[in-house]
Amino acid sequence: MKKISSIVVSLVLLMTFSAYSQGKLKSSKSHIKFYSHTVAEDIEANNYTSVSTIDTESGEVVFSVPMQGFEFEKSTMQKHFNQENFLDTKTHPKGKLVAKITNINEIDFSKDGVYQADVEGELSIKGATKPISEKGSITVKDGTIGVESKFNVTLADYGISFAKGKPSTNVAKDVEVTVLADYQAQ
Amino acid sequence: MKKKKIIKLAVGVAIIGTLIGGGSAAYMFYKPHRDVQAAKTDYSITNSEIVSEYLKDRQAADNKYLAADGDSKILEITGTVDKISENYNKQKVILLKEYGDFAGVSATFTAETNHKVSYLDIGQMVTVKGVIRSGAAFDEDLGFYENVILEKSDLVAQK
Repeated sequence: MKKISSIVVSLVLLMTFSAYSQGKLKSSKSHIKFYSHTVAEDIEANNYTSVSTIDTESGEVVFSVPMQGFEFEKSTMQKHFNQENFLDTKTHPKGKLVAKITNINEIDFSKDGVYQADVEGELSIKGATKPISEKGSITVKDGTIGVESKFNVTLADYGISFAKGKPSTNVAKDVEVTVLADYQAQ
Repeated sequence: MKKKKIIKLAVGVAIIGTLIGGGSAAYMFYKPHRDVQAAKTDYSITNSEIVSEYLKDRQAADNKYLAADGDSKILEITGTVDKISENYNKQKVILLKEYGDFAGVSATFTAETNHKVSYLDIGQMVTVKGVIRSGAAFDEDLGFYENVILEKSDLVAQK
């Protein structure tokens, strides 16, 4: 009897351990938002089509973003966004973030809580890759992992700038990007 | 007298011009999004066909299916329902993927078409119409194959 219960206990322990030592997790859903504020107008675009992974051991975080999945309220704005002089999404259909959580040791993926994550890596938009260093938060709750981050992207860094016309006055030089993702085991 | 007539005419032309110009600018500004479901289907193919097309030559497939202004090709994709989920925008997402294929087609429904998904079962053969957002490819950083992404989807046939 004792033997059976010890087997059960070790099985449960093993299962718990394996559940948290799975390494790479895949996002089940995500939301990426662009927000641009100028005196002329506020512009927002939402994307729910990104795929992401987080490696709970190495701390590597990857986001792959289908650029044509950004949805604007006004169709004309969406067309401008996709066009060659803006994001050129036909030539560069995906945006990408490859980064590392540098304080991964401070995050306990087996314990419920909200943890601050320091993220360093590279962001690629429109074929240009630039280093980024941002902060985010990781929420562990009932075995699910949520990631949230808000940071600014300077459009000119990625070769996106407007000398004249409506975009030069109505699109901010720095846009705010909000990232949300939920993860589950692959 | 003649001069007055010319001035009147010029003012009239200017007013009409402003109205047309302003009107078309307003039309451009408030122009509604393309209605994907009401628009003509560009290609009817299976999930396996479009995935292999992308895995064979991504560039050629992007040239064929993606539009520079984002109004990309409208596709009717036939395949087996492998997974049903919901995104952050409360839209239903179905993955059409065949056993043994490296990738599938992920189709996001809309507030108007969401209810059609509730009648679907895993393993069922369906045809879905939607607009393509991106193609399939192996991503080294993710470590797996990405699916073809379809949005504004609706169910057009089921078996």
